[in-house]
Amino acid sequence: MPMARAVSQTGEAPDDAKLVAASLDDPEAFGELFRRHAPRLHAYIKRRLGLPLADDLVSEAFAIAFRRRARYDGRAEFGAWLWGIAGTLIARHHRQESRMYRAYARTGVDPAEEGLAEAAGDRLAAAALGPALARALASLNAKDRDAVLLLAWGELSYAEIAAVLDLPLGTVKAKIHRARAKLRKALPEENDDA
Amino acid sequence: MREIEALRQMRTALAEQEHPDRLAMRAGWRPGGPAPRARRGWRLPVAGLLATATVAAGSAAVLSLTPDEDAGTGAPQPGDVLLVAATNALKARTGKYWHTRRIDGTIYAVGRTAADHYKIEARQGYETWVDPAGRGYPSSDDLPARPWTPEDMRKWRKAGAPSQVQIPSGDGSAPITLFMKPSPAQGRKFSKGWHSGSRFYNLPIARLAQLPTEPKALENALLDLRGDWHAYSKQATEEPLRALRGPERVRALSDVLGDLLARQPAPARVRAAAFRLLAGLPGVRAEGRAADPLGRTGTVVSLPLETTIPLGVFSAPKQLGTYRRQWIIDPGTGTLLAIRDLVARPPHGSRALPPGDDGRPRRLTVATQPDRFHKPGEVAAYEVFEAAGWTDTAPN
Repeated sequence: MPMARAVSQTGEAPDDAKLVAASLDDPEAFGELFRRHAPRLHAYIKRRLGLPLADDLVSEAFAIAFRRRARYDGRAEFGAWLWGIAGTLIARHHRQESRMYRAYARTGVDPAEEGLAEAAGDRLAAAALGPALARALASLNAKDRDAVLLLAWGELSYAEIAAVLDLPLGTVKAKIHRARAKLRKALPEENDDA
Repeated sequence: MREIEALRQMRTALAEQEHPDRLAMRAGWRPGGPAPRARRGWRLPVAGLLATATVAAGSAAVLSLTPDEDAGTGAPQPGDVLLVAATNALKARTGKYWHTRRIDGTIYAVGRTAADHYKIEARQGYETWVDPAGRGYPSSDDLPARPWTPEDMRKWRKAGAPSQVQIPSGDGSAPITLFMKPSPAQGRKFSKGWHSGSRFYNLPIARLAQLPTEPKALENALLDLRGDWHAYSKQATEEPLRALRGPERVRALSDVLGDLLARQPAPARVRAAAFRLLAGLPGVRAEGRAADPLGRTGTVVSLPLETTIPLGVFSAPKQLGTYRRQWIIDPGTGTLLAIRDLVARPPHGSRALPPGDDGRPRRLTVATQPDRFHKPGEVAAYEVFEAAGWTDTAPN
């Protein structure tokens, strides 16, 4: 098939740390890091803050990462370092994010999905639980929310979340545990096999 | 993890990953974006991005998780796309037989780890003639499995180009062997010849000509179709489609419409109504353009699915991922080129299954899934129609 596809990053592809190092002499090498990391980071921010802010924050996060690239020491994964930078930017919009959750909980229409031509069906599918979950998300403190959404929407592992948030693993687990308890209360009782 | 699952069902429309080139372009020229200082710092690498991509294409991984390269934020409604297809379906010339030649493919991972595996496509060919009176001539063709991408081809060769490979069965029973070279039985079409009395679910084919030609009325008629509409159920249940609710009804209707559009000798006006009906199903959305498994470009509409397993066959859930089904359509001719299933969320977790034939308990695990190493957006299975249209030429 002619379509470009995701392939595993093994073999000849230089790893992220090498690309960062190469970008010190050749700034264009940083472009490959954008290709590798921007889509996933963008999707995550988009889900938390909506499309317009996601566009801004992704380019800002990469701008900051590019400026600081000389200070990247390769001890943490580049991805965790980048997501950490993005996390700080997301935190600046904490109140805006909460406002959107509350508006969704109140009206049943998710402002984050506004202007999305194709959202109607997903809205329908999520209609049952979305508002209740949004209300619970609005009630979480900033760090708990970060942790649980990095897990659910960022699809990161606990260890990756700990690296992104720069917290001990145990603390991350406690935060997610606490967030999940609050979210669980928002859900209707249900038998669950899976 | 129920609350995490529930969160994952939220804002799924926003979870779609976009192509990095498109993101870079937006980040580069979006007015009122980030602070000018930040923008200036970024401009240099953005300008070089395409050049980097070209250089990198041979050596480095190119990441593309959405199949459509064109759909921007102003993506068309599915209605726009399918309206054109519907209009053009009306212009199709008619013939004695509805003829389809299709290949069903499933993409299996061979290997033990995500880093060290290759993917192959298991293929089955079908060719069918059916006339509006319900006389049908089905034939099938066992095709050899083959590596899925050039990269998979390279890895398969590196592994010694084995002529047969073993893949997990999906439910933990004995592994399945797939043949990578034509066996003596292959390449020869198998058919039992003509038969009469073909049906579309419980509807005799001759009745297709009387189906309504207005989308709402067509939906109403299709809701009367009887069948087993569940992805899995402990016992076979036959009921009208109307008995289903919500996403289950949408899934079943989309199956019915795909079948009607691709395989049935339905009149042009019914096909046109079917396109319009598909466009209006809740959750169906336009996704720009994509190439089908034969490399033909078409317009895509898609629907998220909990599971892609065929309806009415299994007694227990057999998948651990979630999926997005795409219909690739040639709007110019109003024909369906392909239906394919992309992995939305790769297989995760595990699930108890009822005992198998040997009475032993079974468990569905990620390790047995064909798509265990798929990334979001990769193709898990497809059905591609090399031919789907009217002909006067009978099978020889």
